[in-house]
Amino acid sequence: MKSPHSQALQSFVRRLMLLSLLRAGIQMATLWFFIWGVVILMARISGVQQTEWLALGMLGFVPLAMAAGLRERSRQPAFDKMRACYDRLQACGGILMSEEVSDMTAWQAHLSAASAPRLRWHSGQAMLWLGVSALFMAVALLLPERLTRLSSHRPLEIGRTVDQLQAEVQTLQQEKIVEDKKAEDLQQQLSQLKQDSSGFDPNKTWEALDHIKEANSDAAKQAAEEALTKMRELTQAETLARAMAQAADKGMSEANATESAQDLASMLNAAKLENGILNGQIPPELLAGLNGLNKEQLEKLMQALELNKNSLGLTVSNLANLKLIDPALLSKCQNAGQCHNPNALAEYLSTCTNGCDALAECLLLGKGGPGGGGPPAPMTWDNDTSEKDVKFQEHALPPAAHLSDAQLVGVSKAAPDLSGNDVNAGNGALDNAAASGGSAHSQVILPEHRQAVRNFFKRDN
Amino acid sequence: MEQLDRILLGRQELHRLVLIGILSRGHVLLEGLPGLGKTALVRTIGQILKLDFKRIQFTPDLMPGDVLGTHILQETSSGKRELTFQPGPVFTNILLADEINRASPKTQSAMLETMQENSVTLLGTTRPLPQPFFVLASQNPIELEGTYPLPEAQLDRFLFRVLFDNVDTEVLDRIISERRRGELPTPNWQMERGQLETLFRTMERIYLPRPVSRYIARLVSATHPGGAEATEPVNRYISYGASPRAAIAIAEAARAHALLAGRPSVGFEDVKAVTAPVLNHRLILNYQARFDRMNASKLVAELLGRLDETGLNLPKDVELATA
Repeated sequence: MKSPHSQALQSFVRRLMLLSLLRAGIQMATLWFFIWGVVILMARISGVQQTEWLALGMLGFVPLAMAAGLRERSRQPAFDKMRACYDRLQACGGILMSEEVSDMTAWQAHLSAASAPRLRWHSGQAMLWLGVSALFMAVALLLPERLTRLSSHRPLEIGRTVDQLQAEVQTLQQEKIVEDKKAEDLQQQLSQLKQDSSGFDPNKTWEALDHIKEANSDAAKQAAEEALTKMRELTQAETLARAMAQAADKGMSEANATESAQDLASMLNAAKLENGILNGQIPPELLAGLNGLNKEQLEKLMQALELNKNSLGLTVSNLANLKLIDPALLSKCQNAGQCHNPNALAEYLSTCTNGCDALAECLLLGKGGPGGGGPPAPMTWDNDTSEKDVKFQEHALPPAAHLSDAQLVGVSKAAPDLSGNDVNAGNGALDNAAASGGSAHSQVILPEHRQAVRNFFKRDN
Repeated sequence: MEQLDRILLGRQELHRLVLIGILSRGHVLLEGLPGLGKTALVRTIGQILKLDFKRIQFTPDLMPGDVLGTHILQETSSGKRELTFQPGPVFTNILLADEINRASPKTQSAMLETMQENSVTLLGTTRPLPQPFFVLASQNPIELEGTYPLPEAQLDRFLFRVLFDNVDTEVLDRIISERRRGELPTPNWQMERGQLETLFRTMERIYLPRPVSRYIARLVSATHPGGAEATEPVNRYISYGASPRAAIAIAEAARAHALLAGRPSVGFEDVKAVTAPVLNHRLILNYQARFDRMNASKLVAELLGRLDETGLNLPKDVELATA
């Protein structure tokens, strides 16, 4: 049977061990709650919102606490140390420690009553840290989803931009500027961008949008340029057709009519309405019978030309509405669609004899040709002359003469003598100009500089 | 103990230390001002123990021969003359070396062999001293003119250096009342030599547990600056720590302390009780300690307070206390 002191000692050892395990467990739990809280926070910020799994993770402290317990157990102080500690606390005077060599039960009877020493753990700080870490983990777990998404998955505000681009693509598709397949691809790409846009990497999204916008703008600009060219051609053709109709009333000769019809045909061929992005169409029977068009047919031709012009103008106007082209280009197109004054040309066609060049005259309309320079144009200062792509003409300068190539003519300490025959100074614009007569060569020396200049040119010899 | 306490009033702790010194077969250096009862204590111990007691008053002109003895020419009964050894006062059981620091170093060093080896060697002949042999030396910490401070080697041979403090008013009142002209009462009980030897034999059987011996070793190691468990004041103020002889002295004194407490084994409290008088003359302090008025007793007390006896190394937030 164990003595009371032995029993108390065993109790003391057990309590010491339990306290060590508890302490290590709490330390590990604190550490784990902090780590897991950080993991939860990171996971939620990166998009994982399955809080059930994250909550289960906090049980990870159990194996950790067990590992800590095993470690504490392996680091448990030797029994003789704990017995010595008990001996000291109970003032046993080494009697309990002497049990390592002999039975001291008889002596233990002389000792004071056995009781396990009191173990007190000042756990306030440890518990505080445990509470803080648990709170941190709970906050990380229960944080509203909108807060965790603040930085990562906040979509970019590109809805309006994407809508604008989609409208542009749709317009380009309707106007046949962009092929249907390409337009569909672009629409799909824009939808995907709208869905995938993230605050994490806005540059990527913005670059893609800029690329699409630039492609739209290029296509629109190209179409507008083509429309401008075609409208000019059509306008000239229309002017000629009107002049032909008027000249026919005024008794244009057959030869002139035939020649003018040929010019009109060549103009329409040059316009190439069927080719390009914005293709128009003129009834083939009119094109086929250009050489023998009567007045009615000429009217139909003019209507067809007007129709094509209007179509081109509408397209350009639509592009301008979407701001795909600048207003200056729109203005050019509108001006190009204005029909010139065909009266002068009709007069010319009806009166000219001996082979008149209707085509050349038509091209001069508005440029000092028939009609005295075309219709009066308003003088405005709204649109500045663009300096884009304007470059000065480059001239390569001759290579500078090297000093070693210079020829020594003499050395003198005095000022250079310019009156010699070798020097020809009489070719300049200021030749023979009097120095005191306001010549460009006269240099004013300020009063405060005079002494310095005098000293510089002063010669001892 | 009881007899000592009855004869010399108010010095129970001192008496206990002196007795521990005797039981440990160590020598004791008594240090205190004149008139505090150093000589009276030694004389009373001699009377109680019924041992041969001699006293030497150390003076600057005292010669080694005056202490150890000398050879004198004597005529034998047959008329033959021969050199005969005349033992000095050191041939005794209890030697009171009064004001030992007043003797010259030559005479002081003559005591070295007697204190360590318990023998005297003269002219190639070694003569053992009678057993038991104790030196109870006294010295005066003031009036240092004309004195020769004991060298470290000789100080190390003293088991204890016991400091005599002034007694309090109550004790003084009793001394004045009960000690007419300072005469001490004679002891009414004396210890026989056989009883003393029995105590010595019992001392041999006092068990020193391993954790306690480990504690003594750690304690002595901690007095060395730069040691694993040396405290900051130790590193700051001590030049040289205690020797292994100090560790042995602590162990022996702790055994004696346990014996006086009536226990068969040494506990940590025994070690703590004897550490200060064992170490306070063995620590060599540096000049910084002098500047800061630090002494060995304070350093030992600080060391005893800091060092964990059992080496359990419990965390700082865990506190142990008796139930």
